[in-house]
Amino acid sequence: MDFSLGAEEKLIRDTVRDFVEREVMPLESEVLRNEREGRPGVSPHTLKVLQRKAKDIGFWGINTPEEYGGANLGSLATALAFVELGRTFVPFQFGGYADNILYSATPEQKERYLIPTIEGSRRSCFALTEPGAGSDAGNIRMTAVKDGKSWVLNGEKIFITNGNEADFAMVFAVTDPSKGAHGGVTCFLADRDMGWRSQPIRTMGEWDPGALVFEDVRVPEENILGQEGHGFDLAMRWIGAARWAIPARAIGAAERLLGMAIEHAKSRVTFGEPIANRQAIQWMIADCAVEIDAAKWMTFKAAWMADQGLDNRHQSSMAKLYGANMANQVVDRVLQIHGGMGYTKDLPIERWYREVRLFRIFDGTDEIQRYIIARNLIKGNVRLGED
Amino acid sequence: MKILVMVKQVPDTATRIRVAEGNASIVTDGIKWVINPYDEFAIEEALRIKERLGGEVVVVSAGPQRVEEAIRQTLAMGADRGVHIKTDEALDSHVVAQALAAVARAENFDLILTGKQAVDDDAAQVGPLVAVFLDVPQVTVVLKLEVDAEHQRLVAERELEGSIEVVELPYPAVITAQRGLNEPRYPTLPNIMKAKKKEVRVESLQALGIVPNVKVRTVSLSEPPERPAAKILTGDPVAAAHQLVELLHAEAKVI
Repeated sequence: MDFSLGAEEKLIRDTVRDFVEREVMPLESEVLRNEREGRPGVSPHTLKVLQRKAKDIGFWGINTPEEYGGANLGSLATALAFVELGRTFVPFQFGGYADNILYSATPEQKERYLIPTIEGSRRSCFALTEPGAGSDAGNIRMTAVKDGKSWVLNGEKIFITNGNEADFAMVFAVTDPSKGAHGGVTCFLADRDMGWRSQPIRTMGEWDPGALVFEDVRVPEENILGQEGHGFDLAMRWIGAARWAIPARAIGAAERLLGMAIEHAKSRVTFGEPIANRQAIQWMIADCAVEIDAAKWMTFKAAWMADQGLDNRHQSSMAKLYGANMANQVVDRVLQIHGGMGYTKDLPIERWYREVRLFRIFDGTDEIQRYIIARNLIKGNVRLGED
Repeated sequence: MKILVMVKQVPDTATRIRVAEGNASIVTDGIKWVINPYDEFAIEEALRIKERLGGEVVVVSAGPQRVEEAIRQTLAMGADRGVHIKTDEALDSHVVAQALAAVARAENFDLILTGKQAVDDDAAQVGPLVAVFLDVPQVTVVLKLEVDAEHQRLVAERELEGSIEVVELPYPAVITAQRGLNEPRYPTLPNIMKAKKKEVRVESLQALGIVPNVKVRTVSLSEPPERPAAKILTGDPVAAAHQLVELLHAEAKVI
């Protein structure tokens, strides 16, 4: 067993760390100010400039296949990069990314959807969730009815990431109610100008997902992604494909936050002594460090398994469940160590506090992860003591 | 231009240095090793010259196995190949410079670049010594470097106290870099991926014909004394000023 990173992985980590420290973190106070005043933290222009700077040093399309100009990094290297990006709350991501299921497009669809998405000239959203269907995706109600050479879509989607900004949606609808999820659901590439509308849903975080409304939206038949009736398989391929990316970001955030708490504890003096000398504070620091370390190795293992071609779904679920909860515990303790200062909007802790709460909900709630983990064990898909 | 860059791997400047048992070395466990920041300016300058004039950038470093990581990092920044003088011995500047000069001599370099000093021992010896061993001119603490390839000459601006000295010289030569010479680049992802495949030749002192006749020995290391707690004078400003003068005279003995 070898826990050390390879030279390449270390260089990737160090380069992203350097980039984040030199180019992204300096934007933090501006981001806080913008958000407080109701504007997006990072303007689309600033994001483009940053992404271009990253692209200049090759950090673009880091998981995109090489034939599309990407670097096609492995999962572990990607996880390391995400940990570094997680160290700042500035919502920055490398450009050159497209959702995995878009690669199932026909050559003609690739020209219109996949390649512009990778290049950043078009934006996509993955529209599966509905008011009555989340991880239980088999319950979706949106309908698509064939009419001549097109399909007519009716229904509503909610909590769609990038739903307000997207130029097109990968939207899932029931095409054959008699067949249920397997065989009855189809994925469509629906451009916004085909007639669907979006409405931001305000959240306690700083990004607003969209509610999408489809009223007699006509989608040409050549816009089916994959095959008619195979939508559920695509959805399942998208969901959880990089579940370990969430705890990876959480680890970066938690390490940054714990560092802030340690600094504060050393400098804040009460009753003649820094609070770092108080056992109550020390225990909080120790518990944070232990949980961060555990989350890190669970996450890296999930990513490493993907690189080995192993089925990592069980490990990914465990890492996501634990990492999401770890981040919530850490930010809570870090806020507590900062006392009143932690509660103010002068420090970014409260912002992180609101953001990490989402980690326990999206891409499968805590409860769904536990369900997956338990089911794997009860059914014997995963056997104890055999990893 | 064929350029040799000499780099040293040093503890990260943020490392908390602790003296090891025996008081002759530091505790190396848990240290994060980085490329000496001044050497990064040298690498960047070499890469820029290569981009302008073509040629090759070779990086050399001496030290134990871990030094290979520093060399690979320079390859990820864009250097073409590396030479690792592998040794676990504690060497002095003189022996290191002899070894580096031997590597330089074996191939004919037009230019040899390095940092003005390493931030670990701050000796600032290696660059000048290599120039002496190779019998080539040198300019230290350089802030700006121009290469006139047609006439095989360099114009270097070096930092003096309160002024800038402009030096013109022929090359081959040794140049040591000061902060401000340039802004080192990030490694690029394609270069990171290529770095593994680039050549790092391993050399030994013996193969280079160097007898490690160490002339400088570390007698002892000690941690700086802890700073005493600050004294804060309060009350009437005039009285406090009098008290301050008294303390600076009698206690601190600085006036």
